[in-house]
Amino acid sequence: MVPPSYYVLLSALIFAIGLYGVLTRRNAVVILMCVELMLNAANLNIVAFAAYLGDVTGQILVLFALAIAAAEVAVGLGIFILVYREYGTVDVTLPRGMRW
Amino acid sequence: MSDWIAIAAMVVVAGGLPIGVVLVSRLLRPSVPERQKQKTYESGEVPTGDTRIRFSIQYYLVAMMFLVFDVEVVLLIPWAVYLVQDPSTYVPAFVFIVILFIGMGWAWRNGAIQWIRPKGRERVRPRDV
Amino acid sequence: MVELGFQQADLLPLAPEIAILGSALLILLIDSFSRGKHGKAAVAIAAASVAAAFAASLALYGTTAEAFGGTFVVDGFSLFFNVAILLVTALVVVSSLDYLEEFYPEGADELTEYVVLLLFATAGMMLMASSRSLVTAFIALELAALPSYALVAFAKRNRASIEGGMKYFVLGALSSAFLLYGISLVYGATGAFDFVAIADAIAAGDVEPGVLSLGSLLVLFGLAFKVAAVPFHVWAPDAYTGAPTTIAAFVSSASKIAGFVLLFRLFTTAFPAEVDWVYAAIVLSVVTMTYGNFAAAVQDSVKRMLAYSSIAHAGYALIAVAVFSAEATGDSAFALGAGMSHLLVYGLMNTGAFLVVALVDDYYGAGYTFEDYAGLGRKMPAVGLAMAVFMLSLAGLPTGGGFVSKLVLFAGAVNSGFWWLALLGGVNSALSLYYYTRVLKWMWVEEAPEDQVELDRKPLALYASILFAAVATVALLFAFAPVIETATAAAEALLE
Repeated sequence: MVPPSYYVLLSALIFAIGLYGVLTRRNAVVILMCVELMLNAANLNIVAFAAYLGDVTGQILVLFALAIAAAEVAVGLGIFILVYREYGTVDVTLPRGMRW
Repeated sequence: MSDWIAIAAMVVVAGGLPIGVVLVSRLLRPSVPERQKQKTYESGEVPTGDTRIRFSIQYYLVAMMFLVFDVEVVLLIPWAVYLVQDPSTYVPAFVFIVILFIGMGWAWRNGAIQWIRPKGRERVRPRDV
Repeated sequence: MVELGFQQADLLPLAPEIAILGSALLILLIDSFSRGKHGKAAVAIAAASVAAAFAASLALYGTTAEAFGGTFVVDGFSLFFNVAILLVTALVVVSSLDYLEEFYPEGADELTEYVVLLLFATAGMMLMASSRSLVTAFIALELAALPSYALVAFAKRNRASIEGGMKYFVLGALSSAFLLYGISLVYGATGAFDFVAIADAIAAGDVEPGVLSLGSLLVLFGLAFKVAAVPFHVWAPDAYTGAPTTIAAFVSSASKIAGFVLLFRLFTTAFPAEVDWVYAAIVLSVVTMTYGNFAAAVQDSVKRMLAYSSIAHAGYALIAVAVFSAEATGDSAFALGAGMSHLLVYGLMNTGAFLVVALVDDYYGAGYTFEDYAGLGRKMPAVGLAMAVFMLSLAGLPTGGGFVSKLVLFAGAVNSGFWWLALLGGVNSALSLYYYTRVLKWMWVEEAPEDQVELDRKPLALYASILFAAVATVALLFAFAPVIETATAAAEALLE
């Protein structure tokens, strides 16, 4: 059996990649994909721990987290469509009507 | 550890095979560089327009509906596979499905999955997202 | 094994939440089967369900019940916050009747959707107050957050609304990812999601301390996003300014209250003082109130000033987190109770202040800067008086419950040996007096310009909400004793 620390390292790596993407990318859809990556890193962690602990609750949380992530994507893409219609782009740095 | 040797062997074979095939064929085949070969369709069809066209927003709506309901089904799988043995879980599962149907019905009535909107009928309200 | 399915005993304690969710589904059903949009009917149903949930919360008061295998717990603590959240929701729902069609005429027939989203968010917040498991807490938090994103971007033709919604969504989604990752680490370290089981595992010493600390820190960060604590606040000013003002009131009051409930319960029940996050709470509190106040002082826009002022108030409430989390010296139940009652009062006065902005800025279209409020106090004395009550009460002067709630909050800090934290809070409150009174100076002292907009229309629902909030704020000044007693009793039960 693969020890859980391998999974934790992998998920930490995925989380870091996602976070890097969120911080450096400007396209809203790419940012959303990176956030999904971070959520999936957490899911991987939970599944690994659940398997290691022999506890099914973690897997249930992952199912819910997947459903929530899907709903989040639905809301997010809806908002990005509005942004696209107003600004002609989904670059998150361009809408800057409000500063201070 | 012996489990891992099998995996390492698989990585070596799976990685080595395509590389080996490409190398061998490169050594054996004649090389005839020609511009025709770089076209998208070698049959001679000239591609028109850009690959990145914009799709109708209707695709997005249907994809969204699919995504949400697809994932909701995942929540029903544990119930359908295992919990269904226990009759006391029928009511919660039923409530869950009813809630899904209410959402689905609402989206339907509001024209979210209406592909071609009939003009001049009142019951479909114009939506702009 | 956990009991499968649900029993009646599970449902009764959650009656308030079920009332709200049921009415939201009912509105969706009516909307599916009717030919036209019935926005006004939706508002009526929503108001009725909020009233029913309010009554149910009061009726349940005094009972303590676990539901769904202990993942939800209904006690004095959760019911207290149910009341606070429902008060804010009631004010927002009623005032939306006048507000939405004025602010966003293209979407006047989308009032149904607006109300449904509002109800779902409210139910999510109430469930946050009752959840005692990281699983239910995460789901409830998302149930509150997802409709809020949509509501902030609700005015689909308004650039500011879209921009605010986008920023709120991107950073909110990021914070959810942090929260879930933190939850995964806490689960890995303790092997449990239930708050009590987590505390037991920590007490037994059978945990990886590094994983647990990182996990609880990430959870704290995720929740700090939700309550808009500096430095996790960057979304807040833009989201509050861009959003329809009623939604700004809702998000900055109810959403913040709900975030704090989870913070309180998580850090009293799951991570008791052994975990070293006290310093994080102290730093967050000091930075948040100081930054919020200084940023609020330099704003030109009243709405944006209120946005920063709500950040500053998150800092005050974080004092309570810092105090009860410290070694249980002094009376930590009193400190927690003070934080709870401050949030209740804050919800009323902050919502009221935002609703006044909704009336002046968006309904009358007078303009958003301080100068545009010139002379409005004398033109509509009732609203002017209400605004005076809200502003001075937010600053902590004895015109409303804000005075006493801040007083007991600081007293709780002093009691537990955090006199310097109370002192900082006091200095900050004095500073905040500058920008709060600036609104009143323009409203009451300055002369109105000749070309000011006509104020001839009387939006009844908006007026009623503002006056109700004002009366309730003033009433809490005189009737504060029962509130703090209830809150302290609930806090004691929680801390045991």
